[in-house]
Parts: sequence; structure tokens; C-alpha cells
Amino acid sequence: MSKIIELKDVTAGYGNEMVLKDVNLCINANDFVGLIGPNGGGKTTLVKIMVGILKPVKGKVILHRENGNRNHQIIGYLPQINRFDVNFPISVTDVVLSGLVSEKGSFAGFKRPDKQKARELLDRMGVGDFYKRPIGELSGGQMQRVFLCRALITSPKLLILDEPNTFVDNRFEADLYETLKELNGRMAIMIVSHDVGTISYYVKTIACVNKYLHYHPSNIITEQQLAAYGCPIQIITHGDIPHTVLKKHNH
Amino acid sequence: MLNEIAELFQYTFFTNALISALLASISCGIAGTYIVARRKVFIAGGITHAAFGGIGLGYYMGISPVAGGTLFGLFSALGIEWLSKKSGIREDSAIGIIWSFGMAIGIIFIFLTPGYAPNLMTYLFGNILTVNTSELYYMMLVTLLIVAFFVVFSRIILFISFDEEYAKSLKLPVQVFNYLLITLVALVIVINIRIVGIILVISFLTIPQSTANLFTKEFRRIILYSILVGVVGSFSGLYISFKADLPSGASIIFVFVLIYIVTWVIRSIKGRIEIRKQLSK
Repeated sequence: MSKIIELKDVTAGYGNEMVLKDVNLCINANDFVGLIGPNGGGKTTLVKIMVGILKPVKGKVILHRENGNRNHQIIGYLPQINRFDVNFPISVTDVVLSGLVSEKGSFAGFKRPDKQKARELLDRMGVGDFYKRPIGELSGGQMQRVFLCRALITSPKLLILDEPNTFVDNRFEADLYETLKELNGRMAIMIVSHDVGTISYYVKTIACVNKYLHYHPSNIITEQQLAAYGCPIQIITHGDIPHTVLKKHNH
Repeated sequence: MLNEIAELFQYTFFTNALISALLASISCGIAGTYIVARRKVFIAGGITHAAFGGIGLGYYMGISPVAGGTLFGLFSALGIEWLSKKSGIREDSAIGIIWSFGMAIGIIFIFLTPGYAPNLMTYLFGNILTVNTSELYYMMLVTLLIVAFFVVFSRIILFISFDEEYAKSLKLPVQVFNYLLITLVALVIVINIRIVGIILVISFLTIPQSTANLFTKEFRRIILYSILVGVVGSFSGLYISFKADLPSGASIIFVFVLIYIVTWVIRSIKGRIEIRKQLSK
């Protein structure tokens, strides 16, 4: 199996506070990892380390590029939606094209094929009609689709999604999981969620992060196991999902 | 009227005024679009008022007030940018402190300067009709700088402004750009203080942009339309100030707001007609 990204003994945090400690993780081609953990456990910090927004205090992040093209963005990234300024004056197409900017360099303009690729992606995600619109005029679910296109335009080897199911409608969520399943044929996927019940149906393996990271090489996990991993989160049932061992919840 | 205008061109001060109005429209059109899009208007206010400290210092030491203003403008811009990255300091409070401290320094130095500072009003309210040639060259230099920077890096500026974190994940030099951009904004502010004054410079950076924003929601178009609105507004404001013998800065801003209101009204009427059309279909 070909490795895409490796984290070796990564310790990270902000200021004096260490959020992650001695984390080891390796993502291979065609993996589908669910990253779970309690709030403040370091899920988003881990994602930021992986996409290069944050530098580890200690340890190493190794990216494995196939063809040695140093500019190829091998990780596509869908950040949490709540940090955008929705009134920012930018069109949907420009948002998608922005994913390409590091590959193109500062001076080269976007060529026809780039724009065409952006349009195709938007069409495939069902938001093709909005390509000229300002991003702020779209609904939460439509925006997420656009941001997914931005992540996919570099044809990444790994797609990382940080809580894609917050602030969106149920339809988007259902569509998203189907899209991810299809994309998983071409790329590895890591999805961050606090909703273990839903994602465990789709993912192949689970990583629990609460300062330390425990890798669980299966999508079946119990609350006991979670507790043993130092990851005290509740599993909530969503109907009869077959592959998951679940505890009853009392609402 | 045309004869009158033709006559005006015989005076150097008038051509200088027109050229500086054009330069102000271009430089503020660009810098203003950036600060409005990134919601940095309050920062721009802070830089403007902090620059007054440098103007006062310039008077006191007998050097060029514009040089002092540039110095203070740059320091406050970089200071605010640096502070905003530090946790534990509330950015808007920091701006408030720098804002008022700059003004205080300016007032103290001007008070200490022996004799009356005759041009003080020029810096508070601006006077486009007394812009001299060396100031004009300085304006040209800064305008050229910001135009060149935005032409070359327009896409990177747009993407960093929209989503800083994502830009970081694409390995763009986000921090370098943030500092360069705020430096350019500070320079633009300082050169334009001479035109419309400390109190009114913020209008050049926000009103044309808001007008442009009524028509388009695309960054690069907002820049172009703001420049256009800036030119039309400042030229006609200048003409009015000349005819009615009113202060130039205030006249220009008056026209700016007028254009904004008229545009807004036209747009809302158009919108209503559009809705009615769709309903009757």
C-alpha cells in the first residue's frame, strides 16, 4: 500500500498549551478514516498539522509525492464552514480556482482548462448553475459543495474534511456521504466528526484523538473501547446501522 | 461652463488638484476595496489618526509633516497587524489606544511648536488646492506602487483575503502579504490625508466602495468601479467647491454620499420593477 502522509511523534499546541502529544499516524491510498474525539481534544489541530497550517512543536510530517512534483497539492481540505465571511466579494468560480493558486504560481493566469475543470466539478456537485454568483448568496449546503470543489480541483490523493456536517441540511449530509464513497475509489479520505454513529457506517477505520491518538483498525467500536483509548465520547444510535456496536441512548 | 473649466486649466494649482484627485481615486479605490472586503475599516481609522502624531512631530522638529506622518502611519499599521496576531490582546481596543495616542501626540507637538501652525487645518480637513509638485510626485510613487502590487498579485491577494487559513494550507506567504498590504494601505492613507484630511480620509476608502458594491460583488470589479466613482465624485466635488467657494474635502465627500444615495435609490426601484415583472409572469 502506498503511503500518502505520515505523522511521526508529532507534538503540537498553541503557546504553552500542548493539544497533541506524540501522535503517530499514517494514511495510505484508499483509506477512509473517521477522526473522532471530544471537543477540545485536538481534532482540528491535527487536521491543521496535516494540511500545513500549523507547524508541529516536535516531530515530523512526511508527505509522499508520487512524481516528485513539488507543487502538486496532494491534500485537499474542507475546513469548518463557520469561519467564513459570507459577505466577502468573491465569485463561486474564483473560490474553486483558488485551490489551484499554489500550483500555478503567482504570475500565471488561470487558463481555459482550469476554468473548465472548475465548472465540471461544480456541475458534478450539483451547484453548476451558481458558478457566476457571489459565494455569500448560496445556502450552507451549497457553499460546502463549492468548498468541496475547491478541495478537489488539484486532484488530491487525500481529502480531509473537518466536520462537514455542521450547519448544513440533512440532504447535503446524505449526498455528501454518497459522494465520499464514490471519491474513495480514487483517493484516501479522512473525515472529522463528533457523530460517531453516522460516520462509522461509511469509514473503514477510526482514529480517536484526545491529546493522544489511538488508531482503531476497524469501523466497529464500542464505548468501552473508546474509554480505553482515553476518548470518552458517547455513541448515539441512528436507527439500525449494522456494522456498529452501539449502546442505547436515552433522550 | 466649458469655457470656465478651460480657463481653470491655466492655473497650475488647478491641474495639480485634478491630478491629485485622480491619484487619490486610484489609490483609495484599491486600498479601500481591500480594507472594506477584509473588514479593516477601523484599522484604517486607527492608522489615519495615529499619522497625525507624526504630522505634529514633523512641525515641531521642522521637518516635513508628510514624512512624520508616513513614519507614524507605518509604525501604527505594522504595530496593529503584529498585535492582532498576539493572543490576549483585543484588536479593537488596541486600535482605540493607538488611534487616540497618535492624536494626543500630534496635539501636544503642535501646541509646543513656537508660533502658529498655519497649515494645521490642512491636515485635519485637507486642501486639494494647495498640493505642491513634490507632494504630487510622492502621491504618484505610492499610487504606482499599489497599482503594480495589485496587478501582479491580484489573485493571491484575493485568495488570502477571503480565506487566510486555506491560503496557508496552499503554502502561500500569508504573513508577508498581510504586512505588505497593511504597509501599502498606510502609505495610501498618508498621501491622501493631504487631499481630504484626517477626519475625511476614511470616506475616500469606503464610500466609493460601498457604491460599487451595489452593482457588483466581485473584488476586482469593485476596485474598478470604486476608482470610477472616485474620479466622478472628486472632480465634481472639486468643481462645486470652486463655484460655491466651499472647502474641497467636504465638498467631495458630500458628492460621494449623494452618488451613493442616488445609486441606492435607482437600484431599489429597479429591483422592485424586476420583482413586479416576475410576479406578473
